[in-house]
Amino acid sequence: MASAGSGDEKAAAAAMITLISSDNEKFEVTEATATLSQTIRHMIEDGCTDGGVPLPNVTSKILARVIEYCKKHATAAAGEEGSSSSFSDAAFLEVDRAFLEELEEFDDAFLEVDRATLFDLILAANYLDIKGLLNLTCQKVADSVKGKTPEQIREMYNIVNDLTPEEEAEIRRETQWAFE
Amino acid sequence: MSGGAGLLSGGGGGGHRRSPALADPLDNDDLLSDILLRLPPSPSSLPRASLVCRRWCRLVSDPAFLRRFRARHRRSAPLLGFFTRASRNVLFTPTLDPPDRLPPGRFSLELGTRCRILGCRHGLVLIHNWLDLHLLVWDPITGDLIRVAVPPEFGDGGSAVVEDGAVLRAAGGDVHGGEDHPIPFLVALVGNDREFTRAFACVYSSETGEWGNLISTACPSMNPLYIPSTLVGSSLYWLFCMDPYSIEFDLDRQCLAVIRVPLNCCPYDNICHWVVPAEGGDGLGILCLSGHSAQLWMRKTHRDGVTGWVLGRTIKLDEHLSLNPYERISAPYILGFAEDCNVYFLMSNADVFMVQLESMQIKKLFGPSDCSVYHPFASVYTAGMLFGGHDGAELLLNT
Repeated sequence: MASAGSGDEKAAAAAMITLISSDNEKFEVTEATATLSQTIRHMIEDGCTDGGVPLPNVTSKILARVIEYCKKHATAAAGEEGSSSSFSDAAFLEVDRAFLEELEEFDDAFLEVDRATLFDLILAANYLDIKGLLNLTCQKVADSVKGKTPEQIREMYNIVNDLTPEEEAEIRRETQWAFE
Repeated sequence: MSGGAGLLSGGGGGGHRRSPALADPLDNDDLLSDILLRLPPSPSSLPRASLVCRRWCRLVSDPAFLRRFRARHRRSAPLLGFFTRASRNVLFTPTLDPPDRLPPGRFSLELGTRCRILGCRHGLVLIHNWLDLHLLVWDPITGDLIRVAVPPEFGDGGSAVVEDGAVLRAAGGDVHGGEDHPIPFLVALVGNDREFTRAFACVYSSETGEWGNLISTACPSMNPLYIPSTLVGSSLYWLFCMDPYSIEFDLDRQCLAVIRVPLNCCPYDNICHWVVPAEGGDGLGILCLSGHSAQLWMRKTHRDGVTGWVLGRTIKLDEHLSLNPYERISAPYILGFAEDCNVYFLMSNADVFMVQLESMQIKKLFGPSDCSVYHPFASVYTAGMLFGGHDGAELLLNT
């Protein structure tokens, strides 16, 4: 965040960006929050954010959630920079740990959404290129598949099995032990 | 490695990275790959995913995906089992429960009679051919087998004799930088001169393909090393047989020392002490079995800079292992130590146990074993995923 390029720290901190959702709703966010998205960061660097940033792939419902995530994690990133630069004693480590725990709790609560919302968040995180959010949401889907049989996975996500019996037999032959 | 142009090669091209939104992330190859990369590194994860449908199968059997999957999870690789030396080959014994239990003998390597296993670390196995004076670094998952000649100082006419060695992945090749590149490895060799007055060490780097300088230090022990190495921090440790000393080889500082350890002598054929990471910290520790109890020692540096050893926990093993009266007759000893997950392989006179000393989780493996040392093997298992003629177990000889 420190490398946003602006010489005037105060101006950078106060700079606001307007994000416009696909259904034309406007969201005012700080630059620190917006630049968690690499896509928006590049637009800011290229100077094409005047008049707002249109995000035709993200609805207002999802954009509101994404901003909620970015706000929380932008604060976390700022906090990390502040504490590691000047202090590293036990008290500060304690604060760091407490903050990380809080962040983890936030993430857990953030993921308490239905599948359609989770999928929309993945698509938005991908489009906006927000690494942390993409990691978080993809991990949630991966966790839902953990320990499931192929049949259970297909059922969960309405996937049609288009493997021919011969293909299935070949895969099973190589990895029979994994189905015991 | 060969590409996976097999079973499902006709199954549609991949989408562009960060392509515009589709309604369902599972319909986007990049996003589905991102999700599947985050499956747990247990062996059954990818085989199960591959049976969901053709797309899933194509994605999880893609060689680039498999490389990324291994790199991503290598720090949390599960303990798959252990290697032992049989008369002419290296044998693998699985220790996970189904469905993650690999078939016994899954990774076997014919060696002839001139080889011995020096150890396993970071998914690699180090083998020493003592007659032809070379080392083999084997990745059982990919089948890669790399031959490294022993440096001339340890060879015929050199002043040093190879005693032991260790393999490890270079610390710099970390997960984020290494997903698409092979992670370099190091081989450390230790030995002594023929008069047993000095200890020697030398490191090979796969990045440069060369051995570094031979370094040495005065050595008070006349006995050979026989316990496989332990990596603690950036240092490798080898305990001497029957003498209360350990070699300490700091890889970062390229510094070799022989340090005193808090041991009594133990019988030659049964190992009852092992260098371990200190409990609750990142320092050096020693596990010492004495009768049916296990003592955990920690090395402490006092304010005046003098280091000494402090006895930490003592664990009554017989209370935890639920040994029968017959098993209580002789004291247990150590067969091996998996440093990544802090699991010990202990042998009582009737059974082999896997013991995690922090949690005291215990698993009884099987009946008597006639083997003296187990080499625990942790790795991300992805072999056998290149369907259609390209078995991951094929050997790639890289001499």
